[in-house]
Amino acid sequence: MGKILMVDLSTRDIREEIIPDDVYEQYLSGMGLAAYILYNRIPTGADPLGPDNILGFISGLLTGTGSLSAGRWMVVGKSPLTGGWGEANCGGSFSPAIKRCGYDGIFFTGISKNPVYLYVKNGRAELRDASHIWGKDTVESEEMLIAETGGRSRVAVIGPAGEKLSLISGICNDRGRLAARSGLGAVTGAKRLKAVVLDGKKRIDVHNRAEIKRLSQMCNRWVQFQPPLFPGPLVAYVGTLMRLLPTQMAMEGLLYKILLKKWGTGSMNQMSVEMGDSPIKNWKGSNVDWGIKQSLSVNPDAIRQYEKVKYHCYACPLGCGGICSTKGKYGETHKPEYESVLALGGLCMNDDLDSIFHLCEVLNRAGMDTISTGSTVAFAIECYEAGILTKKETEGLELTWGNSDAIVALIEKMVRREGIGDLLADGSKVAARNIGRGAEAFSMHAGGQELPMHDGRNDPGYNVHYSVEAAPGRHNVGAQMYYEMFQLWKVVRGLPRVKPLYFKGRKYSADEDKAVMAAACSKFMNVVNGAGLCMFGAFLGAKRIPTFSWLNAATGWNKTPEQYLEIGERVQTLKRAFNIRHGIDPRTFRLNARVIGKPSQAEGANRGRTMDMEKMISDYYRQFGWEPRTGRPTEEGMAKLGLRGDKHVV
Amino acid sequence: METCNGCGACRRLCPVDAIKGDKNTLHVIARNLCIECGACGRVCPVEAVKDPFGILCKMVKKSEWEKPRFDKKTCMSCRICIDACPVHCLGLSGAASPDDPHGYPYMENEKTCIGCGFCARECPVEAVAMVVS
Repeated sequence: MGKILMVDLSTRDIREEIIPDDVYEQYLSGMGLAAYILYNRIPTGADPLGPDNILGFISGLLTGTGSLSAGRWMVVGKSPLTGGWGEANCGGSFSPAIKRCGYDGIFFTGISKNPVYLYVKNGRAELRDASHIWGKDTVESEEMLIAETGGRSRVAVIGPAGEKLSLISGICNDRGRLAARSGLGAVTGAKRLKAVVLDGKKRIDVHNRAEIKRLSQMCNRWVQFQPPLFPGPLVAYVGTLMRLLPTQMAMEGLLYKILLKKWGTGSMNQMSVEMGDSPIKNWKGSNVDWGIKQSLSVNPDAIRQYEKVKYHCYACPLGCGGICSTKGKYGETHKPEYESVLALGGLCMNDDLDSIFHLCEVLNRAGMDTISTGSTVAFAIECYEAGILTKKETEGLELTWGNSDAIVALIEKMVRREGIGDLLADGSKVAARNIGRGAEAFSMHAGGQELPMHDGRNDPGYNVHYSVEAAPGRHNVGAQMYYEMFQLWKVVRGLPRVKPLYFKGRKYSADEDKAVMAAACSKFMNVVNGAGLCMFGAFLGAKRIPTFSWLNAATGWNKTPEQYLEIGERVQTLKRAFNIRHGIDPRTFRLNARVIGKPSQAEGANRGRTMDMEKMISDYYRQFGWEPRTGRPTEEGMAKLGLRGDKHVV
Repeated sequence: METCNGCGACRRLCPVDAIKGDKNTLHVIARNLCIECGACGRVCPVEAVKDPFGILCKMVKKSEWEKPRFDKKTCMSCRICIDACPVHCLGLSGAASPDDPHGYPYMENEKTCIGCGFCARECPVEAVAMVVS
């Protein structure tokens, strides 16, 4: 039995609610609990930026229990970017702060008349005036709020982008970690909620702490296994080798962990370009256009040289983050992540690392999604190249590939919503609609959300998940390589085993096994997000990171992995039902023809590859018992999961 | 307990403001706020505090309160101990050395430590030991 806090910003009513045990047993906490709350309480057709939308800040079931990698918190709401289910996920130290206030989640409804922030301390929650910090960036705001609440609070805050209702804005914590996706910063801004400030000290009790510790120590032994590695620039050649070989080695999460621990997500920067995983030049280029020489500036060592100290999120033994020094006025920034570097780098053909460091800090402080921003800039550059945007419209900016000065100037305009920046600040889909003149052809999105830096032409699993998830266009759910790293078949009966080495052709065939694997990823990541675990932790492999055993030890349940995946299936179906209820036709999450290889590329790592998305999507739907043509959950499928007739689901 | 003399030592020390009472009057602990850190029991000069099991707490001289000691070799820099501390007396260091770029927990403000042992209790890898210094 847990508690949530419900805050009505219109009436300033704050009340606690008790959530019964059986809700946790059916949905877990985190994303699952959020799906249960939002599905039942957001009225059909609610305006995402209106008072009826509910915005939730939720911790995970395993957060604070001593389970490792369990420091993720999630923000949920109806997305103004996609019109459907919106979710984003972030690390840092905010997730345990929610739990230490005694709550599993804090949910906001209504709209405040004036800017406010929620402050919770020692069992007391109150809304305080935030007029004096409205307009300040996320880092300044966090510092001010910590100072005025006694010096030790944990803060989740929006920046100017969220205040100005940018549809690609997120929510920031720990001086620059962003729950960036789905445009939920705009929902926060529309509610005039500047921040959530938490200073709780409650103990987090668990069923069997000794067992959790035993499991954590086993897991930590794998994490601390760290052999010496070759220099960063050589990692690129691993990607080259993977591109050239006719066979594919199943991805091994332990190897990826070794790279992560040394360099962070940036370890993959060059390697991804070389193997065809990272889209280049707004998805029309390849490693031929941005080869090893051009991408050398973003090699793992180039970034690591600025790292002052490793950054560990709460409960993380790995520490893939870092605090870096940076040139320019800010002096310090969180180490730019893979997604940010490639979105602001290769996607725009920008090889100026200083500009990427600067832009990451600018965007973190604005509270704007680096993926969507980079993708929207690449869209604008291609519009400019095609003559759709003129120099007059760009206000003199020479928007050419790799022009880092122009890219910096454009993004600073987007943050301020000035001129051309205002046109682009809601992402590429909205911009394309406003520009017209065929600009839509250059917008790489799914359901309105810009695609991340993983190319489905290299790993078709990405394209499936970009298209079928309730929050489309996200890379943190599944892919062929994720399935290989999760190694779920080692603990879940009936799941297909992946051979350590297989011919590449197999990777691209749309066979039945692919749908089973994709569905398993979706279900498992719902469990991971319910638990509040980090996806990078889950990459270690199911035998090494004991997700299901931790859940049993924390709760006292005795569920099997198969039963946990059924919970994941239930959450997936409920999120899908949320979208249907809000008028989203699942088949509209279509990818740009370029992204699915129509026409296929003539050169580069992914040359000649075309995806049969229709078949892959229908096969995926069948795995959930959804109608294979429309993607709608069936009565039979809902009943099987106990969603029809469930007293909790209205 | 009735033997409370209302000196206020427990109220001043309580990290969650769970203890209420005027000077020289019987103090009460709000159960919904209490985190069972035991600080009130250790500091009470007249031993008027019972733990949740009804056992009378013994006063312990401040110099004999246990404090955390960190084993850097076992520590994985996960910050759980820092988060668990109800009085925020632990800090995180900068990078230990060029070969070891991780930060480690350390006693930043020893005077505020109440010896609750939450840091040791929550450390998943037993890298924190509570010892009398």
